[in-house]
Formats: sequence, structure tokens, C-alpha cells
Amino acid sequence: MNLKWMSLLTSFLIKILTMHFMTYYLEIIRTEINPMRAKYLKPAILASLYIGISQWSGAALAQNADASNLYKRGLAATCANCHGTDGKGVVDGGMPLINNLTSEQILTQMKAFKSGAREGTIMPQLAKGYTDEQLEIIANQLGKK
Amino acid sequence: MDRRHFIGQSAAALGLLSGFSGQAQANLQKAEILVIGGGYGGATAAKYLRLFSNNTARVTLIEPNTSFISCPMSNLVIGGSRSLAEITSPYDTLSKRHGIKIIQDSVSSIDSDKKTVKLASGKTLRYDKVVVSPGVSLNFKSIEGLAQANKDGVILQAWKAGPETVALHKQIATMREGGTFVISIPEAPYRCPPGPYERACQVANYLKQNNPKGKVIILDANQDVTSKGALFKKVWAEQYAGIIEYRPKSNVVGVDAKTKTVKLEVEDDVKGDVLNLLPQMAAGEIAIKTGLANSNGRWVNVNFLNFESTARKDIYVLGDAIQIAPAMPKSGHMANQHAKVAAAAIVAELSGWEVNPAPVLTNTCYSFVNSKEVVHVASVHQYNAAEKTFKTVPGSGGVSPAPSTLEGVYAWGWAHNIWADSLG
Repeated sequence: MNLKWMSLLTSFLIKILTMHFMTYYLEIIRTEINPMRAKYLKPAILASLYIGISQWSGAALAQNADASNLYKRGLAATCANCHGTDGKGVVDGGMPLINNLTSEQILTQMKAFKSGAREGTIMPQLAKGYTDEQLEIIANQLGKK
Repeated sequence: MDRRHFIGQSAAALGLLSGFSGQAQANLQKAEILVIGGGYGGATAAKYLRLFSNNTARVTLIEPNTSFISCPMSNLVIGGSRSLAEITSPYDTLSKRHGIKIIQDSVSSIDSDKKTVKLASGKTLRYDKVVVSPGVSLNFKSIEGLAQANKDGVILQAWKAGPETVALHKQIATMREGGTFVISIPEAPYRCPPGPYERACQVANYLKQNNPKGKVIILDANQDVTSKGALFKKVWAEQYAGIIEYRPKSNVVGVDAKTKTVKLEVEDDVKGDVLNLLPQMAAGEIAIKTGLANSNGRWVNVNFLNFESTARKDIYVLGDAIQIAPAMPKSGHMANQHAKVAAAAIVAELSGWEVNPAPVLTNTCYSFVNSKEVVHVASVHQYNAAEKTFKTVPGSGGVSPAPSTLEGVYAWGWAHNIWADSLG
């Protein structure tokens, strides 16, 4: 939810800044005494505007994507104690392996545990502690690629 | 605002923003991150700091022991059905596979102002972020006469798995025929709530086969069994009738090591042959010494979003040492989960990102009631932003309906996987 807000805020700021620039730019066009100066100023401002915004939004989006990816990895890591780091469980360790399943299969099984459709020992109890959205993220993180 | 001023400011702001990502990446790579203690919390933190930073963060683990000996499963060694080697893992995978620098030493002090850590060997290390996972300290003074008796090797704790684990099994194996094993439990909170009851089962299981007239007395300072109560009581009645005797509200205050007499706060003295008296516990010594134990002087209050100490900035505390959130057990599994939240938060902070606003923890704890059958307790803890703590999700979690050998297989599956997840 916070991520959504962050990207909303980012795009809002970009818009404000663009508008700000545009207002100034129009002001310049209107009031500029020396037309030559305005001629050179126009492309310069446009270029800096373009570079600045593209870099800024690029950096902000990259941060958001990286942070979001980190949160997803963190969520999936709650499973690793029993099913292995990144879902790669210890072979013949005694715990059912999940890394041969696709994301879809993992999600189906976890939802079945959550609804009670599938019985089990610990998984029905743990699956009920996650939201559907979280189960989806976990399945996407750990499913066979 | 004049035009030139505005353009200058805007350009500076844009430059700052566009350069921010690169600068943050550099901060992550330049930071000195120390991890103190290589238990379930510390080892996991070191490994996941590397994983979550895509192997860019510099991580140093400081741990005095040469290898990791698991507390979970160690009651099986005390009961004689497993060996210490089976619950021991090496540390060197953390350096070989994950590029973590390991220093075999202990920490004598942390200077949170200068941001340095002093090692027992005398060396001083600088840090930007330090993760402290010190486990518990055993307050032997809470039972009069226990400190000396433990020092003399007469009364063992074996609550930190290691040489005492093996020695306690020997004491039980050489106990006189028809002798009594006495285990005492301090008032909660203490490390591993179901641990003492599991231990009583393992000792009773051994005696049942090897010393059938032997007895086990549990002296519990608490009002009742603190974890998996109904399950343990059923097992004691069905599998260990006449062997295990459970006495709640029995607070041990002293011991005479020569006569093996246990003194209780209210009730009459109890005599035994092998005594395993667990004293009151608190956060590991280094946490107390550093002034981190700001909850009753015993446990460390942390910010549950990143596990940073509320007493000192840039010090993150994990595992048994913290003041728990409601229904959060002091367990190895939980310490491993704390570590992942803290590792992700540290990576986020050093990258200039917001820390995950909604972390999740799970707990799974298996107890062996004999050498094969197991009962579990499990829970899911979601961060509650309004109350700034973790709360269990209503309707989730729970215990086993009954002991089973299937869960015995899963218990070993859990052990092998969590060892690999923390150390492999």
C-alpha cells in the first residue's frame, strides 16, 4: 500500500514540476524582451526538463521496483525455514519439496490449505495467517521458473 | 523567486534526485555491517544481508564457537536417541558460499557513540550497522548455590547446547537404579517455552527403557504448562504414567549440591539424584552490558519494523534477547524470522528505501514426546501498524491434534532445512 502511495506521490510531484516549468516557460515567452534569448532558452529548458524528469522518474521507479522486490523476497523467506532458501529445500531432508511446483500449483495448494479443502499438519494453520495477496506473492516468488 | 534562482534550485533538486540511487548503492556497498553471535538469529542475518543485497553488502560475523550446535533437537541427545554430531553444523559455508567474513572471537564491549566493537582478543572493529543476536544469559544467582554447583559440573543446565548436553546424558545414564531426575522451570519468559517439557519426555523415555523404576519430577514456577499443555499432559498420562510427576507453581530458590536437595519458595524440599535446574533468563550479556536491555533490565525493546534497539541507534537485536510481542515465543525459528526482517530493513535503509511497512513472521516448533513421535505448535504474526507490534492472525496457527510419527519426520525435515537456511 505504501509503495502505491510512493509511486502516486512521485508522479504527482513530476506533474507539479512540469506544470511549474511550463508556467515559467510561458512567462518567459510572454515577457522576454530579447527574442533571441528566448529562442535559445526554449530548447535549453526543454532539454533540461526532459533529462531531469526522465532521470528522476527512472531513479524513483527503479527504487520502487527494487524495494518492492525486496519486500517480496522477505515475504517468501518466511517459508524458507521449512522449505529451503528461495524454496530450494534439502533433498531427502524429510520435508515435502516445493521447488518442483509452478507458481500456479503452489498458489492452488496454499489456497486449498487456507480454505480447509486440503488437510495437513502445519500448512492449514500457517496458510490461514496470510492474505490471498500475500499467498500470490509467495507463489510467484517460489514457483518453478 | 527570480527565474535564475528557480532554475538553479530545480536543477540542483533534479541532480540530487537522479544521483540519489547511485549514492545509496554506494552506501550499501561501503557500509561496515557486523553481526555478533552465530546462532539461529545471527547466522541467518549474516546470510540474508548478503542475499538481500545481491551479495554487495560487506558482512562480518563474530562468533566464538567453531561450529553451530542446535538447541532444537538437543533434548534427543540428552535422551540418548541422537548424537551431538547429528545436530552440529559447520560455519564455513557462510564464508565459502556467501562471502561472509567470520571472526572466531567474542565481543567484550560495544561503543554505540564511536560505533565500534571491541573483541575479547583486544582488536577494535568499526561499524555502520551492527546486528546483535546474543541469545540468553542464565542468571544462576536466581537459585542459591547453583552458580558454584554448575561451575563444579555437578548441576548442569544444558540449555545452551554443547558439552553440557552430552554430560547431562551421561549423568542420566549413570544414575542409580530407581533414581530421580529433577528438572525445574523458571517463570516465563524463558528460552524455548516447550523445551523443558520435551526434555522431561526424553529423559522419561530413556528411563522407561533403561531404568524403569526411575522417576522424573518437573518443578514448574509457572501456573501451568506454558506450551502445548494439553498434549504434554496427555502424553505423560498415557506414555509415562508413574514416571513423570508434574508440579506447577513450584518456584525453586536454592539447592544443596552435596545432598542434591532442591529448595522451593513455598513447598517442602525435593530430593533428587540428577538435577537440571534452569535459572531465570535474560538477554545475552553483551546486550545488558551495552545498555540495550531497557525492558525491566532483562530484555531488549526493539522497533518491530526493523528490529533496531529502541535504546541505541544502528544496533539491531534479534532472537531470544528481545522483549517479545504478544504470543511471540523465544524460539530458534522465530530468531531466524527476526533476522530476515532485520536484514531486509538494513538493506533498505542503506539503499535509501523505506523499510517494508508490513513484515510477516511465522513460528513452527516441534517437540518430541519420545524418540519418534512429535507434537507441534505453529503461528503467523503480521505487523500491526496501529499498535507497532506483531500480532498473531485470528483463526491461524494451532497445535497438533495428537503426537504422530509423521510429524517426527517433518520435525527432522524442519531441522535440516532451517540449518541449511541459516548456515548453508
